[in-house]
Amino acid sequence: MSQSLKPYLTAVRHSLNSSLCLQDFSSQLVERHNYPEIENKRSPEILLNPLHISRNASERVLIEPSINSVRVSIKIKQSDEIEEILVDKFTRFLTKRAENFLILRRVPVEGYDISFLLTNYHQELMMKQKLVDFIIEFMEDVDKEISEMKLFLNARARFVAESYLNMFD
Amino acid sequence: MLQLEPQNLLIEETFASALSPNYEFPSLDRILTDFDFTTYRISTPEDKGKILLSIGIKCWSDLAKYGSLELLKEKYGHYSFIQILSEGSCEPGYDVSLYIDINNCTLNNIEKAELVCQLSLLKRNCFAAPFLKAFKRYEVLSRENPADPNNIYGEDSVAATNNNEEVLKLDYRGEESIFIKPSNDRVTVIFSTVFNDETDKIFSKIFLQEFSDARKRSIQKAPQVINSHKDVPLEIQHIEKPTGEKTYITFVLFPRHLNTEDAKWNTITHIQMFRSYFHYHIKIVKCYLHQRMRYRVQSFTKILNRAKREVDEAELRSERKTASGRRFEVR
Repeated sequence: MSQSLKPYLTAVRHSLNSSLCLQDFSSQLVERHNYPEIENKRSPEILLNPLHISRNASERVLIEPSINSVRVSIKIKQSDEIEEILVDKFTRFLTKRAENFLILRRVPVEGYDISFLLTNYHQELMMKQKLVDFIIEFMEDVDKEISEMKLFLNARARFVAESYLNMFD
Repeated sequence: MLQLEPQNLLIEETFASALSPNYEFPSLDRILTDFDFTTYRISTPEDKGKILLSIGIKCWSDLAKYGSLELLKEKYGHYSFIQILSEGSCEPGYDVSLYIDINNCTLNNIEKAELVCQLSLLKRNCFAAPFLKAFKRYEVLSRENPADPNNIYGEDSVAATNNNEEVLKLDYRGEESIFIKPSNDRVTVIFSTVFNDETDKIFSKIFLQEFSDARKRSIQKAPQVINSHKDVPLEIQHIEKPTGEKTYITFVLFPRHLNTEDAKWNTITHIQMFRSYFHYHIKIVKCYLHQRMRYRVQSFTKILNRAKREVDEAELRSERKTASGRRFEVR
């Protein structure tokens, strides 16, 4: 793990821990409705200040807490067009399978690659500590996966080119 | 499967069984397809012992112009039981037909195997004519102006100046073309290709980069590969308009690829497969990445499932009581 990754992940972990303090909250506007307040943002008094955590210009996390839900959006590092494609493909792949992931949002928040929506119901179903672990592990693994895929692509291209050109002997 | 085979497996199998001694003569009607919009039809229109093999190629008019028909006659004409039909007399919808009379075949086993091999390479043989023509022209040019052995990079040589040399052009897939230009010390083959998918285009850049680098790194015997996106290479600037969407891949074939008959055919066989090989491997890589993502998503689901609270069965089943000790159920 590189020098700057650890403090970044620690900061995200602590911020998530403190913002994941959720309770059941019925809508103040519509009777017998109960939805994640962060998604409609119509009662400002129950929204908290959003948190930005940036590692560098291309990697950052946005945490938007509210009384009954927290939205976590992640921007994954993309240094060239190959990584852009890989990240795009990967996040598309994940969001298409959002129903298996419960907390995954189908559409990421604008400016980010992938978003999670954690509600009080998820917190009842799952352990808070483990949820935080999941998000941290996800952030670590995605970076690793993207760089591995990129390496694979280059190695494969080299192999393919060499085996084609070798036939000309 | 790393390499694509130049022969068509289905034709190979059909004729291998047709020429085997205990063949049962069924009536055939098969339509087969190959790369670059090539279609074959194998049928027995009159007699079960006579097989008609037709081939349709998109750029046949170009190939015919460069002498494909003559080459086919040379390849298949010496078999007395094979009739070559073309233009008016061939099967409608196809470009060339070979009418093979199995009953009158008097070859021994080795010759039969050779014939089966040649028939399965029908597409390559059609595509070979323009290459052979260019190679012949190269031989003439190299005799007129022998290449200077001290000028190994070909700078300021005749090759750079003889722009009047005819460039052979094959529009083998409509928008995409092959250009072949002979010169006194080399033959240049240029492919133009179009990518419909943005992702493919970017993947192709990595692949082409490796094609260009491979020669510098380890394989000195291979032809030099130069690639350019958007810019039209110098050799064909006078016949190709820049569209900004095509990728050009230039192969420079050196005398070592053209000096013997075997080397020539080997070069032709592989170079005409280049586009298929290239696009095929881009698809494979995408496929692999997809598989990998699938696996990764599975492992993420596992991690998330670990977070789920375990509901203790025993606790759920045991009797629940209020703080004061009263039971929920009435006994």
